[in-house]
Amino acid sequence: MKNHKHGTLNPKAQFQKEITVEQVLKSAYVADPLKLLDCCPFSDGGAAVVLASEEVARTRTRPVWVLAAAAASDWMLLGDKRDLARVPATERAAAAAYRQAGLGPADVDVVELHDCFTIAEIVATEGLGLFEPGAGGRAAAEGRTSLGGAIPVNPSGGLKAKGHPIGATGAAQIAEIVTQLRGAAGPRQVADARVGLTHTLGGNTATVLVSLFGRD
Amino acid sequence: MTEPAITLQTFFERARDGRLTAVRCRKCGELALPPRQFCPACGERAWEAVRLSGEGAIESFTVIRVAPRAHAADAPYAIAVVKLTEGVSLLGRIVDISLEKIAIGVPVRFRPLVRGSQTAVGFGPA
Repeated sequence: MKNHKHGTLNPKAQFQKEITVEQVLKSAYVADPLKLLDCCPFSDGGAAVVLASEEVARTRTRPVWVLAAAAASDWMLLGDKRDLARVPATERAAAAAYRQAGLGPADVDVVELHDCFTIAEIVATEGLGLFEPGAGGRAAAEGRTSLGGAIPVNPSGGLKAKGHPIGATGAAQIAEIVTQLRGAAGPRQVADARVGLTHTLGGNTATVLVSLFGRD
Repeated sequence: MTEPAITLQTFFERARDGRLTAVRCRKCGELALPPRQFCPACGERAWEAVRLSGEGAIESFTVIRVAPRAHAADAPYAIAVVKLTEGVSLLGRIVDISLEKIAIGVPVRFRPLVRGSQTAVGFGPA
């Protein structure tokens, strides 16, 4: 619901329509307990990121700096996972990224993460250290991850509403964070966003990438 | 019971005959299934095959209502992560247990699901 609401503020989102709790609960099961409206769509879409040396970037207005880029892996098979409610690869990639940047979860102003399913966003916010394990669901319900909340998550609408063009999803997250850090996100702008985080994954959470971005 | 180390192919050949086989690392003792190239715990490639009892309990499950095309005709059906008595877990389809009776902790027993030349992992009532 939160991400669909964010999607209404993003003219590039696939779904720009709010949904209600009732609509989610009334939608058909895909795989219990996930219903149709818990699942992200597969989308057509593209995104590009222009990387430049510091020297070149300084000649441009409002460059955004890559503060950290970290990857971590985990067993892929569900049967091998030690705890089905946690994603160790997210926790390890986040720890490495925070270490690289000399920052912590409290320093992050805006997050774009891999909400392929509603529960995935909750588990990811916990893995990224934004909330304690088990506390992410309540935090989302309380609006702490909404625009205007303590730590806005997926202001673009996320995979859920902006859409999930698979291979382009990671770059699209970076595009949103760059837009946010430049203060160019219009009605979905996170006020005074200075540090942004992207989190993307593949292969049953066997591979997770966490990057941190900042501005001057 | 120790047997020569096995491949994914022989794992399924044995599974087809009702034998569930894991591999144990001769260096660190890690137990894994299905068989794989390298030990996820220590990185060695010194496996020996271990026959499993096939008994376990449901650790987590879901009911697939919208199935991949190849299984569309079977939906709804349940798949579960089953924790075997030996301590390792395996994903498989639940058969011969009604969907409303499936719950975490329900004891189950390995059963091969054979369709033509294909063998899949299944679990039925213990």
